[in-house]
Amino acid sequence: MAISVTAVAALPAFSAQRSLPQPSRQRVVAFIVVRPVRAHRRFVGVAASSPPTPPDLAKKVSESIKQAQETCADDPVSGECVAAWDEVEELSAAASHLRDRQKGADPLEEYCKDNPETDECRTYED
Amino acid sequence: MAICSAHTTTISLRSPCTTTVSNAAAGLVQKQVIFLTSINRRSGSRRRGGGVSRTLLQVSCSADGNKPVVIGLAADSGCGKSTFMRRLTSVFGGAAEPPRGGNPDSNTLISDTTTVICLDDYHSLDRTGRKEKGVTALDPRANNFDLMYEQVKAIKQGQAVQKPIYNHVTGLLDPPELITPPKIFVIEGLHPMFDERVRDLLDFSIYLDISDEVKFAWKIQRDMAERGHSLESIKASIEARKPDFDAYIDPQKQYADAVIEVLPTQLIPDDDEGKVLRVKLIMKEGVDKFNPVYLFDEGSTISWVPCGRKLTCSYPGIKFAYGPDIYFGNEVSVLEMDGQFDRLDELIYVESHLSNLSTKFYGEVTQQMLKHADFPGSNNGTGLFQTIVGLKIRDLYEQIVAERAGAPVEAAKV
Repeated sequence: MAISVTAVAALPAFSAQRSLPQPSRQRVVAFIVVRPVRAHRRFVGVAASSPPTPPDLAKKVSESIKQAQETCADDPVSGECVAAWDEVEELSAAASHLRDRQKGADPLEEYCKDNPETDECRTYED
Repeated sequence: MAICSAHTTTISLRSPCTTTVSNAAAGLVQKQVIFLTSINRRSGSRRRGGGVSRTLLQVSCSADGNKPVVIGLAADSGCGKSTFMRRLTSVFGGAAEPPRGGNPDSNTLISDTTTVICLDDYHSLDRTGRKEKGVTALDPRANNFDLMYEQVKAIKQGQAVQKPIYNHVTGLLDPPELITPPKIFVIEGLHPMFDERVRDLLDFSIYLDISDEVKFAWKIQRDMAERGHSLESIKASIEARKPDFDAYIDPQKQYADAVIEVLPTQLIPDDDEGKVLRVKLIMKEGVDKFNPVYLFDEGSTISWVPCGRKLTCSYPGIKFAYGPDIYFGNEVSVLEMDGQFDRLDELIYVESHLSNLSTKFYGEVTQQMLKHADFPGSNNGTGLFQTIVGLKIRDLYEQIVAERAGAPVEAAKV
């Protein structure tokens, strides 16, 4: 069993007085979190800096753009044209939100929320 | 007097069970879940146990004085509402997450104290319906304001509601979800202040006013990675929606108690990159339980360049401004920041010169900003002013709760 050790630095403790903080007054508190990590195939993976949009949604976005361009070729100020571009915006926003959700999701963290008692998720504070 | 609402669900079970009553006080809402069991023994059945129907009766009650504080946040899509919500819920403690075990496409976010609903859930026309009628989601005709009003009013009175879910992926309306009254109820979307009835239910309202240039830059950032998008398509989408935005969304800012206006910088001549921003926090005077933030001296007109020994500034620097103004015929105080921070921990220097921040301790604004340093806008006025507005809303909430409890408190003036 491997052990991962993470040092966590707390924020600088600010003086309660309304004077400017000086470097000498700031203290950094560190504590160690020791988490036993069991090799578990389910959690092996590298998080991309910006995860890709799910393929079906990505396809919907590109199709909606094509459709809007076609709809607006005849009459760029028609209600149909405006509604078509509104659909593009809605799908683009949905894709962005999904990417953000995926970016923030750590599979181990999600698993540990539901299974805090398992070996993978036990934490020890010293 | 208590206000209650009941929701019943019938579940079929294979074996008999006893009646149980469980009480759980969740924040300001007291819930009772009562299991009513009726056993139907089928005549002539050879099985030991007959069919059992179990009715789940959920009663949500709210003591008369304990009703949610309702906040409205208006902005166009892609203008930072989600980031603002994350900052706001963080101020109240805990991260807001989608309802556990519910619809994975739900737009609702729930934390210990806060529930955020997306007003897109009140679309009366789905995506196909809007296409057929040739209207956008910005158009009031595509939205059910009667239902929005009824449900926000019910929540404010302490009653649970079955709120529709608009699925942004499929463009359809999904089955509704149960929303129970939280301590702080936030309605965010395109039209929180459009309908006068809904507007009157809001305890505080915010409008995110993103200039066309910045909106274009942000949407390029958001969409250029997406297959099929180009500069032309992004521009076309913004321009196509602009008439409806100008007609139905933008006028709401006149009703907002606070407006965060995001503009291109004035520190770089002819800047077309849009990386450096000038942000204004426009705060309405005379709003109950809301004291506008000020720089140095309340009511004065001030211009301040804090760069020097105490604050590290690389080109183009940072400039603050503060002063009184008139906005849509209302007296306002305006706090402005142009530029961006090089080192977030040095924000404490700026914080020490701002008053009426409603912080609990010295350095809380800086702490909140450092805590979410990875959020968009954390190094400029968007993050700073969103954090400040979050603290002001917390203060407003605490004053309302104290007033309802019969002990009025003075607004925090740290």
